[in-house]
Amino acid sequence: MSNAFTVAVLISAGRHPVSGAPRACRGDAVAMALGRRMAGDGVRVVHAGAAEEPSLQDYLALGAGTIEVLPLGNSGDAVAALASHLKSVDVILTGSNAESGAGSGLLPYALARALARPVVANVLEARVQKTAVEGWDVEIRQFLPKGQRRRIGCALPLVIAVHPLAPVQLKYAYARRVSGRIERFPETPAETCVVQPGWTVETASRRPIRLKARETKSGHARMQAAVVAEAKGGVVAFEGSTVDKAQVMLNYLREHRLVDF
Amino acid sequence: MSDVKRVNPRRPYRMSPAGLRRIVLGEIASADPHIGVTAHEAQQAKPLRTREPAKRWHMAVAHSDRGRLDDHAREAIAAASILATADTGIVAVILGELHENAGELGADKIVVFPDLDASRFQPQREEAVVHALLDDFKPAHVFMPDNLRGDGDLGRRLIAKDEAVAATHVIELDARHVSVGWSGGAAIAKAPLPRFVLLAPGAVDAKLPFVGAGELLPAPKLPSVVEAYRDLGLEPMETADIALEEADFIVSAGNGVENVETLGTLARTLGAAVGASRVAVDEGKFSRDKQIGASGKSVNATTYFAIGISGAVQHLQGIKGCRHVIAINRDGGAPIVKRADLTVIGDAEELMQALITRVSQAREQGEVSRSKDE
Ligand SMILES: Cc1cc2nc3c(=O)[nH]c(=O)nc-3n(C[C@H](O)[C@H](O)[C@H](O)COP(=O)(O)OP(=O)(O)OC[C@H]3O[C@@H](n4cnc5c(N)ncnc54)[C@H](O)[C@@H]3O)c2cc1C
Repeated sequence: MSNAFTVAVLISAGRHPVSGAPRACRGDAVAMALGRRMAGDGVRVVHAGAAEEPSLQDYLALGAGTIEVLPLGNSGDAVAALASHLKSVDVILTGSNAESGAGSGLLPYALARALARPVVANVLEARVQKTAVEGWDVEIRQFLPKGQRRRIGCALPLVIAVHPLAPVQLKYAYARRVSGRIERFPETPAETCVVQPGWTVETASRRPIRLKARETKSGHARMQAAVVAEAKGGVVAFEGSTVDKAQVMLNYLREHRLVDF
Repeated sequence: MSDVKRVNPRRPYRMSPAGLRRIVLGEIASADPHIGVTAHEAQQAKPLRTREPAKRWHMAVAHSDRGRLDDHAREAIAAASILATADTGIVAVILGELHENAGELGADKIVVFPDLDASRFQPQREEAVVHALLDDFKPAHVFMPDNLRGDGDLGRRLIAKDEAVAATHVIELDARHVSVGWSGGAAIAKAPLPRFVLLAPGAVDAKLPFVGAGELLPAPKLPSVVEAYRDLGLEPMETADIALEEADFIVSAGNGVENVETLGTLARTLGAAVGASRVAVDEGKFSRDKQIGASGKSVNATTYFAIGISGAVQHLQGIKGCRHVIAINRDGGAPIVKRADLTVIGDAEELMQALITRVSQAREQGEVSRSKDE
């Protein structure tokens, strides 16, 4: 093998947000494609959960090759199981948010903490190079909002959370789905290291309610505020010269700190 | 009788400090104290949130953006203060320079670290600094904006370090609960308010009827930390190249825009990306990839200028995620007026020209005054 460093990708059970149909989680599929670009067929693909999970078939079709499945114990804690399974891997790639459950994006951080490694999130590209002193080093291109990109260097080993906009191509092939394998690993006893809040899922869908400060206003003022709020719409500037109106727009931009001049 | 809403041009108006008349749709008298009064005057009239000494703390942590706090950061401070009891103090920890008074945003104590700007990547130093403050104040709850500007990253590092109970992408909260989108937003899930709350944008109304004490604390010394990461810097970029889906500022043209050149100049002056309505694209004025709306792209810009766009539902669908919509239109009855936060009535070409002139002037003056204070 030409690669003297090892790469593993973590994949989770994906669900279509509307139909709920099982599918490869898009973010994880992107991470897997990035992993293949870094390590070719040498990349290890790992799923913590049930081997019967139907979405794993999708990952095989996308080129996973062999999927290593780690059963979760009673604790259901993926982090501890993954940390002990991946101790010797140099680069661990994950997606940014899972599609099922809370999708908190905390897993790469918890895993990095458990393995005492650095973690970089929102990664678009990663290139591993040999350093002068017998080591490996990775150069990362990180996504930032407003079209900005940052470059970061870091020594191996590390954890990388891949941004869903990473420029990779996903190719689905039925033949690979058929030839791919799912390899089951025995359960490893592990203590919990991620404390999850106790979530209760509401059955009815609804709009979230915005948190607002309670105002102690007179009844008259409240009534008036209600009347004004009903007439939806913002400020309308009808009058004044063109120059005045340009000033009105600039004032708006400044008042809301939308420009920096 | 016709159902068409008519706008009375002689409705009551307020004079702004700049001497401009401002008419507000639906305004009966001066219901909104902000109109016509500068923000500063209005805020001075607000009472202190509490006069009791603090027995416990809520903390808000956010990066500033060029010396100011964006809406999302303000929402985190507002959440901390709205959910506080009378004997709870609010500490705001600001990473990066701060040129505004966070007390007006609800903070009682403010710690600023000018050297920990969001443009630099130094997560371990940030983690160490905030961690020291968490040890000092032992806040019951910590609120942060869940963004990609560094706060979402720092928040997750702090959570992982403390193995704390936490909720991220929080879309709804009150004194006892938080709610998040479940399974990719298909449902909502609720949990008791955890120690760390990373807020999705828009979960909180940052407008407060009170202020905080706003005491600026001396910044503790930065610990000497050897970063595992080497920050190789930001890549230079061209605003015109930014994909519409990522753009934070979009100037968009509709059928009412005759001159594409003027629109391009305006976009460059404001540092904005260019979008268009379907009609403008169909006419061949813009390429298909600029189309915004149901059959085009959905955008999430903070600022969206709709110029000569009527605001058909198919178009509005594409700008659902935009925070501030400013419209220029000839017709005060166009549907875009209902969506826009500010509508300026008049001819698109003339107004664009005037805005280009005014913004260029303001930029020059701004640069002069900024270089003076440095
Ligand atoms: C299935 C379907 C899908 C569609 N998908 C999309 C889509 O994805 N995106 C989209 O944008 N549309 C879409 N449309 C079309 C949409 O319904 C509207 O027809 C279109 O958005 C209107 O574009 P407009 O506002 O630029 O033009 P118009 O409706 O012609 O409005 C022009 C506006 O400019 C104003 N104006 C004119 N001249 C001036 C001037 N000199 N100065 C100032 N103001 C002026 C007018 O008052 C008017 O309000 C779709 C329609 C259908 C049926």
